[in-house]
Amino acid sequence: MDWVCCWHRKIVEPGGCPNIGEGEEVLYTSYQRRVLEKCIDCPNFRKDLQKMQESGNPLGEVVSFLLGEVREQRGKLQSMVSFLDSREREIKFLHEISLVLQTSVDLDEVLSVVMTAITAGKGFGMNRAFLLLADKERKFLRGYLGVGPRNDGEAWAIWEDIQRDDFTLKEMARDFYQTKLTSEKQKFHDVLKRMTIPMADPNHVLVRALREKRPILVENAFQNPECDHSLVQALGVDTFLVTPLISRNRRIGVIISDNCITRKRITPQDVQSLETFAFSVAFAIERASLYERLQEELLKVTAVNVKLKEQQELIVKMERMALVGKITSSIAHSIRNPLMIIGGFARTLLRGAADDDPKREYLESIGQQVRQLEEVLEDILNYSDSLYPALDTWDVNQLVSAVCRELNGRLHERRVACRLRLDTSLPPARIDYKQVAYCVRTIVNAAMEGMPEGGEIRAETRRENGWILVEISDNGVALSPERIDAMTTPFGSTEELGSGLGVAICKTIMEKHGNLFEVDTPPGGGTRYIIKLPVNREET
Amino acid sequence: MARLLVVDDESSIRLLYSQELADDGHEVATAATAAEAVEKIKESEFDLIVLDIKLKNESGLDLLQKVVKERHNLPVILCTAFSCFKDDFSAWLADGYVVKSSDLTELKEEVKRVLAKKGK
Repeated sequence: MDWVCCWHRKIVEPGGCPNIGEGEEVLYTSYQRRVLEKCIDCPNFRKDLQKMQESGNPLGEVVSFLLGEVREQRGKLQSMVSFLDSREREIKFLHEISLVLQTSVDLDEVLSVVMTAITAGKGFGMNRAFLLLADKERKFLRGYLGVGPRNDGEAWAIWEDIQRDDFTLKEMARDFYQTKLTSEKQKFHDVLKRMTIPMADPNHVLVRALREKRPILVENAFQNPECDHSLVQALGVDTFLVTPLISRNRRIGVIISDNCITRKRITPQDVQSLETFAFSVAFAIERASLYERLQEELLKVTAVNVKLKEQQELIVKMERMALVGKITSSIAHSIRNPLMIIGGFARTLLRGAADDDPKREYLESIGQQVRQLEEVLEDILNYSDSLYPALDTWDVNQLVSAVCRELNGRLHERRVACRLRLDTSLPPARIDYKQVAYCVRTIVNAAMEGMPEGGEIRAETRRENGWILVEISDNGVALSPERIDAMTTPFGSTEELGSGLGVAICKTIMEKHGNLFEVDTPPGGGTRYIIKLPVNREET
Repeated sequence: MARLLVVDDESSIRLLYSQELADDGHEVATAATAAEAVEKIKESEFDLIVLDIKLKNESGLDLLQKVVKERHNLPVILCTAFSCFKDDFSAWLADGYVVKSSDLTELKEEVKRVLAKKGK
């Protein structure tokens, strides 16, 4: 019998079988493989089989029957192999993702991995995914992050990018975390804003998925009266999958995923895979959230500790100051009377002495020295008083004007001009009037002392960052940083007691009131004193 | 010329004030305690009292209240080493307030001002 197919030949010459292609040359000599791989699907073989049956050969029917069975079994085997391949890929993928999820405590990193895994072709291959998280009080599910294209054009651009970059899933997640997360958070802002679902609503599909602890595939959503229409409108698709995220019975949130662009069917296998994935996702998100909260609490505790330490230091300082204040006040008062008597009698004697009396010089010296000691005492007593401020609401402009008016005579004597620039819109300040007036007076006096040849003092008030500023500057010689430092430290230099103590007291008073006091030398020359007072809170 | 009463527990201060105020042409009497001052006010007429706040074991402010109550037209100038009493409302009853200083100019000015107000 003449056969059309080459099945009966042990060896075939090259080109002798139309089904053997390039790279399969071994089949020309491998008889068994050629029959099993090529002949059973070859139309020529089928023709030979037909011929065999028609000639009455009973083997023709048997071979035909066996051939059908072989084909069927081979098909089943191939489908099982492909199923096993896909499961193996999935297990590998889940293992890889789980490793990242297990080790990361950064919520954004976890979310990047999760959302990339769901939407990437190398992952679950869904077109879009939305994550909704339960709020702290577990009262609402709120839209937190959406990932995927907004339209077909964007989808093509994303897919082209993916093909060009050829990243692994892990690399894609890292790339997403580093370059896309922030923009992606913004991209679906409008959609996410509409996703606020009360967790007390038992019929809502998202809440139901959480309660029943299983994924729910929503189909025909537009026609389904039980569906939350505002959610469906926000999503813009009629088929989507809701996967609950539950960790140790705690409802963490839900993931909504869909194929809005490709309209590909969501298969039961997709549902099952995502459900498996959701366990590790929920756990990772919960852990990262807890870690984030822990970090927040840690920061708060650290801040409280710093504050506590500052307060402790302040208390110690205040106690020391209060003690110093009491002692100095007591000493000052007991010295004042004798000093006054000495100085007073010296002046009396001086007045009675003749112009050429040689004792005049001694008496003048006693009078002057006593006066200087009295000024030192005045400063010390002010320092003690500053430890007990009497706060009230006052007009700072009025205070500055009053002090400058009071010092007019002295300013004139020393040929110092005082220019005021007051902000008339200043709100009232809560201050101890007497103490702040003392500070302004002391600063103006210090500025005058620094300009023995005369000059100009500018007193300015203005509002700045919640403070009322009183800025007093002169055009004398700028003070050195060491001089400023010595000047603003109470009792820093006992040698110069009386000449620099006043400014140090100003600083103490300001700090005690919760105000700020700065002395600096502006680039234009001279020295600048700045008092910062709090605005009266009732007025703001 | 006015008749002044200086009340201070410190004898040197009484002496200093007496001399200085006498130099300004006033007739000055002194008292070391509140009781002595009350006695003197009863005995003779004064135009002004210069009163220390911290007297030995007693307060000049109590004496001030007594004077205001009984002799409301007799002016009082408080003269003290403590500037803080200026904010004490019981000190507001006084006609003047001077912080003690070796330079008596401020006290003398205040005496002049208060007497002028009284028409003396």
